[in-house]
Amino acid sequence: MKAKIREFSRDIDKESKTLCEKMLGDLEKSRRPVLEATKCSLDNSFYNPRVGFLTPGDKRVRTELNVSSVQKMARTVFMLEILLNNLKTGAVNTKRELYYMAKGSVKSDNFLKPLDFSDQTESDSIIDFICDMLEVYREEMNCYANDRGGQTYSKQLVVTETLSDGSKAVVDLSTLGTTPFQPKNRPQTFRLKAKKKIDFCLVIESEGTANTLVSNGFTHRNNCIVVGAQGVPSNGVRGWVKTIQDQLEIPIYFFGDLDAYTLQNIYRTLKAGSAASLIRNSDFSAPDVRFLGVLPEDVKEYDLDCYDVRESDVTEARALKKARDVLQNDPFFLAPKNKQLCKILDWLLKEKRRCEQQAIFAVNPKDPLMPEKIILEKIKNGSYV
Amino acid sequence: MSKITSSSTAEYFAKNLQQVGFSSPTKAVLTTLKEAVDNALDACEEASITPELLVTVNRVGKGSTKTADLIEIVVEDNGPGIDPDDLAKVFGEYLASSKFGRGQCSRGQQGIGISAATTWAQLTNAAGVRVISKTAKMRKALQAQVDVDIKGNRGLLKHKEMIDWDRDHGTRVEFVIDGRVQLNGDGGIITYLDGTTLVNPHMTLKYKLMDADWVEVKRVSDEVPHIPAATMPHPHTMKLGEFMTHAHLYGKMNLDKFLRKGFSRVSDSSITDFVKNGLPKSLLNSSLAKFKETEFKQVFQVLQATELTNPSTRSVLTVGEEGLSKSIHRLGNIDFFSVVTRRPRICDFKPVVVEVAIARFLNRPSDQEDTTIQLLRFANRVPLQFDKAACAITQAVESVNWRSYGLQQAKNSLPNGPYVFAISVTSPFIKFKNASKETIDASEELVEEIRRALMQAGQKLSRHIKREHKAADLERKLQHIEKFGPILVSGLVNITGASSKRKVAAEEGLKKLLGRDSELAESELAQAEERLQVLKAKQRARLGVEDEEGDANLESEEDLSRSEESGEQLSLDESLAPATTKKRATGKKASTKKTAQAATTTKKAADAGTTTKKAATKKTTAKEAEPRKKK
Repeated sequence: MKAKIREFSRDIDKESKTLCEKMLGDLEKSRRPVLEATKCSLDNSFYNPRVGFLTPGDKRVRTELNVSSVQKMARTVFMLEILLNNLKTGAVNTKRELYYMAKGSVKSDNFLKPLDFSDQTESDSIIDFICDMLEVYREEMNCYANDRGGQTYSKQLVVTETLSDGSKAVVDLSTLGTTPFQPKNRPQTFRLKAKKKIDFCLVIESEGTANTLVSNGFTHRNNCIVVGAQGVPSNGVRGWVKTIQDQLEIPIYFFGDLDAYTLQNIYRTLKAGSAASLIRNSDFSAPDVRFLGVLPEDVKEYDLDCYDVRESDVTEARALKKARDVLQNDPFFLAPKNKQLCKILDWLLKEKRRCEQQAIFAVNPKDPLMPEKIILEKIKNGSYV
Repeated sequence: MSKITSSSTAEYFAKNLQQVGFSSPTKAVLTTLKEAVDNALDACEEASITPELLVTVNRVGKGSTKTADLIEIVVEDNGPGIDPDDLAKVFGEYLASSKFGRGQCSRGQQGIGISAATTWAQLTNAAGVRVISKTAKMRKALQAQVDVDIKGNRGLLKHKEMIDWDRDHGTRVEFVIDGRVQLNGDGGIITYLDGTTLVNPHMTLKYKLMDADWVEVKRVSDEVPHIPAATMPHPHTMKLGEFMTHAHLYGKMNLDKFLRKGFSRVSDSSITDFVKNGLPKSLLNSSLAKFKETEFKQVFQVLQATELTNPSTRSVLTVGEEGLSKSIHRLGNIDFFSVVTRRPRICDFKPVVVEVAIARFLNRPSDQEDTTIQLLRFANRVPLQFDKAACAITQAVESVNWRSYGLQQAKNSLPNGPYVFAISVTSPFIKFKNASKETIDASEELVEEIRRALMQAGQKLSRHIKREHKAADLERKLQHIEKFGPILVSGLVNITGASSKRKVAAEEGLKKLLGRDSELAESELAQAEERLQVLKAKQRARLGVEDEEGDANLESEEDLSRSEESGEQLSLDESLAPATTKKRATGKKASTKKTAQAATTTKKAADAGTTTKKAATKKTTAKEAEPRKKK
């Protein structure tokens, strides 16, 4: 199946109005309006290694108007009106702000009161539905998530940001000292330039570990970029790493824990996107990222401390179960190209052990540069997947 | 070696009153009241008198101990009265009973309770019970104080005098004891009186508790339940030793004749079955006198291994679905209710009948949705109020999945909600866990039997609850249409900038669309409503309210199913025998024919029955509308 790669050239305002016009016309004729959206789930995900990220299949979610769905439709149209207004005025809001704005409107207007959202998850799901329906990014509807993760350190990188008024802001990361540069949720507006040749980019699962490496002089001694992912990468981190990949064309390595959760939820999302964001993966995934570690062979090679996975622990048991599931159902792990990653999952399932990324700090406690040495040695030796 | 001495029964109980319900001041008051009321009701029923009871409980001073009050308990009945010669025995002698082991469903069984109450009064207030009694033959009433001679297990009459009493016959007992009064809750006096009211539809009760006003609960049935005579024993209700003792009573009679004459439910075909199951034919003609123990055992084993008809229902007394239906309305304003009387079954070698009444009361606060139901347990029509957890009835209620009937329930717990569950177990031989008769032994067979009754009642109950759910569903859907429809159209008009004319057209179109959806919900509700009406028609018929024709037709369907259940029991319903028997007969016949035909025949039978019982029931219906009359 040919991968559906999104090319964006739509007029959101016009498309929304057409959609609403059709709904209104249906109602006038006593026909049930239908809203359709791309089904964003694993069973509608496809992975082509040449494309490099998860793309959507043909499955659609249909919501036909009936007594049960009338509430959802009314909320969708209500929220769409707010978002279209934002697009018109250029206003930007977070999901949480939209939740409170919607709440404020409905509480102050008796007519709208039945729409009231009891919590943010209700309004979030409506926003997501609108985006899936129009096949647009949340950011394209002027709705941004709070900035999280992506703290970046480098002595060679210069970022030029085009602001909404057309002016430019230039940030030379070498002038920031120990303060990180944090990309916004629209990294596509950045232009990157290297003052000097950059050898590689290292994305680290834990933002704290990235900070420690930088504090120990990693970026002083190496021509590189260090990014802290802060757990599961946000849209901002995913878009930022994709921008680094596309504009600088340098090797990118990911370094995190050796456990099922890191491989499936963090690394796979960074590299190939997620099933929940099928329509966004083209701009929010970096297929060239490689898994530097921790690898099962590193445990032996560097005598890293590791420990048993407790199946009595609900979270860990769930991660193991998910690992079994993805080996059978996740198109990313089913691709022959990612056989090596599957082997790591197999090892984790078989050995039922895990190793934290911070284990490299304990290899030689007397040598604070030991983690740096291990990372560089692994890059040099090609010890990555 | 210390000297071995003998003690009288009275000495034993005087030292162990906690075993018979006097373990705390609160329980002492309730147990005393219970014993007096049980005796009064049993006496009335035995003499075929519709009971009229008067009860007062008052605090009359300080108790002899720090934690107790001095409580006066008076119970007066219109029973036959007690012969002056028996007075001392009844109130002052342990194990002196007219009911011990006779195999009847009377409330009292052993002759312990009222003597224990006298002992408690004597131990805590230095005086036994004051009794006034008059039989129909007596011109004046006998008033006396009865004490227990604890050493000799005898009753002693003191302060005897003949007095004028404005009654033809009856008994009045006055206990003044150390105790504390608890009115509400599981162990409360009001709960006890409510329970007694429920299972005694023929009883009129006037009571005054402490400072509260007089309360009068009038009877809803004029029929005194006939306590069936004990029937011949059923072979499956015996143990080997009992079987041998029973055989010795028949002397030289041969086995064949003994089995036919000495037992119930042994017929010609049963004898043939015994032979098929290994009973040597030669034994049948042998004289019992020549039987050895091994032969008795062989015969007994064959009897146990052979299937026999269930024991006669004539030895079991039930309140009856009709009596329960009427009586439950005396406890308060009822939203809806469901009653079930099971056919008698053998559980643990004894015939048992289980009856269940479940009601939702309107006057109970709605916050009771989260609290457990009120469980009323009865054994031979006596409320059981203590040691709930170990009781067969409680275990049976907890074992049912009430969620499937629409009630909330935590796993293996009592369900929640503003409901009263009344479960009555009646048997000539109820297996209690202790002498104070507070808990029925939870054998597997009995728990299963109660569970089945509860499930039947639950199915009826669920019709009400499902209808409510459907109605709520329709209401929710209608609300959705009214609430969200205009907002949806308004939003679309805002975004598209459409004209107000288009807005009106869209609103009309939307109403048509969603109206179709609500029609589906309405039809589901109508179905649930129809099923509920079937049940309600049956209940109305039972309460004696005249039905509209449509309802009466619906009723027949229920009666068909009922006829399968109710079998041939003798019950309070017997007064209505022409109606119920006829219904049953027609119902059974019709079961093989079309339902419509059955409906017509049943309607005719029901009409005939209605006229005969109209006089008795019409009056009571008006009274039922008011929960309780206060004087």
